[in-house]
Amino acid sequence: MAEHTVKAFSEELDAITQEVARMGGLAETAIADALAAVARRDTELAQIVIQRDPKIDAAQREIEKRAIKLFALRQPMASDLRVVLTAWRIAGELERVGDLAKNIAKRALILNQDEPIQLTRSVERMGKIAGAHLKQVLDAYANRDVQAAINVWNADDNIDAHYNSLFRELLTYMIEDPRMISSCAHLLFIAKNLERIGDHGTNIAEYIHFLVTGEEIATQRPRADAAE
Amino acid sequence: MSTGPAMTAPTVKAQAGSIVGAPIKISARDVNVHYGDKQALFDVSMDIPDRAVTAFIGPSGCGKTTFLRCFNRMNDLIDNCRVSGSLQIEGKDAYAKNVDPVVLRTRVGMVFQKPNPFPKSIYDNVAYGPRIHGMAKSKSQMDGIVEQSLRRAGLWDEVKDRLAQPGTSLSGGQQQRLVIARTVAVNPDIILMDEPCSALDPIATAKIEELIDELRDKYCIVIVTHSMAQAARVSQKTAFFHLGKLVETGATEEIFTNPRDSRTQDYITGRFG
Repeated sequence: MAEHTVKAFSEELDAITQEVARMGGLAETAIADALAAVARRDTELAQIVIQRDPKIDAAQREIEKRAIKLFALRQPMASDLRVVLTAWRIAGELERVGDLAKNIAKRALILNQDEPIQLTRSVERMGKIAGAHLKQVLDAYANRDVQAAINVWNADDNIDAHYNSLFRELLTYMIEDPRMISSCAHLLFIAKNLERIGDHGTNIAEYIHFLVTGEEIATQRPRADAAE
Repeated sequence: MSTGPAMTAPTVKAQAGSIVGAPIKISARDVNVHYGDKQALFDVSMDIPDRAVTAFIGPSGCGKTTFLRCFNRMNDLIDNCRVSGSLQIEGKDAYAKNVDPVVLRTRVGMVFQKPNPFPKSIYDNVAYGPRIHGMAKSKSQMDGIVEQSLRRAGLWDEVKDRLAQPGTSLSGGQQQRLVIARTVAVNPDIILMDEPCSALDPIATAKIEELIDELRDKYCIVIVTHSMAQAARVSQKTAFFHLGKLVETGATEEIFTNPRDSRTQDYITGRFG
């Protein structure tokens, strides 16, 4: 697409898109580090994740500010309107992802006070998938790639399936050995947070679809999470 | 995806239009203007920053053009017009006895709503001002001034092969850019624009707005406009006039997202009348 005749307008749209990409990078790092903190029982890393979360919140506020300014001063139309709108909405999703990563890190701090537990490996695997989906959807956003976004959207049942399987495993553990109940409960919450991160990824995928096509994804997303 | 998140948010040139701390180019205090018995402006006081675009908005007859015309003493040309109060350009009184209005009008150029190229060639349109002010010692120097002015107005590439053709042979948008080239040829500090795009289509308007965006790096620009959207796009500071009074001034972003005065809010949101 050609640049706007008034170059500053193009620059402002590029800047808000880049700010979303930057925020996405912060969220990806938060997830990866939070999961590493769980896997390696790394208390220091967990604390770093918690301390870095305000930067993600600040990025969301910055994007909101820029979006309001763009709406008020440029009255964007058509695809430009969708760029600003989706940047704002995606920033909201990423802020929640950041909070979920922070919560995982907080649970890591508590888990590290108890005995190590085998099932953290399963949580790690689930986390890698959630992290990969987020990366894929953020790449799709950067490339305006609708098909890549739809692929992530469809693949979310994979994360849901992991969650269901983890749920059953953790229950079994808890029944077998009541001393494990505390740790398992924390792992369950971590798994739930990862499942929520997957959901935010599909929301972002839906925004990308709207951004590029101007239409909503028509069908119901395949859902495999048994509890909902 | 890149190797890691950037540490700081990306910045854009438009943010550089922040007017906090910008030097003041024009300073008006308690300016009153009468046309005979009728008072058109009441106690207008405001500062106009340098290297920025200030927009005057307001309904028809609110006094914004009257105020604009005080800056280059165009109101002197109207018989029964009386201007009182203080108007300083870079700290010097523009209405002092020893100020020559003709010289002032090279420093403070003006672009009008209807493009008004002279009935001369494109070249002579731009060269006219420098010629009468003796700004060029040789033809090649004059050629240089003409080329630089046309480049600065974003018109050079379109007219460089036909400088001898009449200025009136250009399209409306090109004529307006020619007028802007003519204005900058005499090295003004300040460029006044009175609804410069009202007679132009959206594409020509966008080209003029991009030109204004480039010019504000070097000049103090004041633009009167009926289009609030244009004021929002193009300016860093906005002043709202109503019934001859200055109701509110502020950073353009503030005026259009959160104005302080309810009259400003009503005008901007189309609740007037």
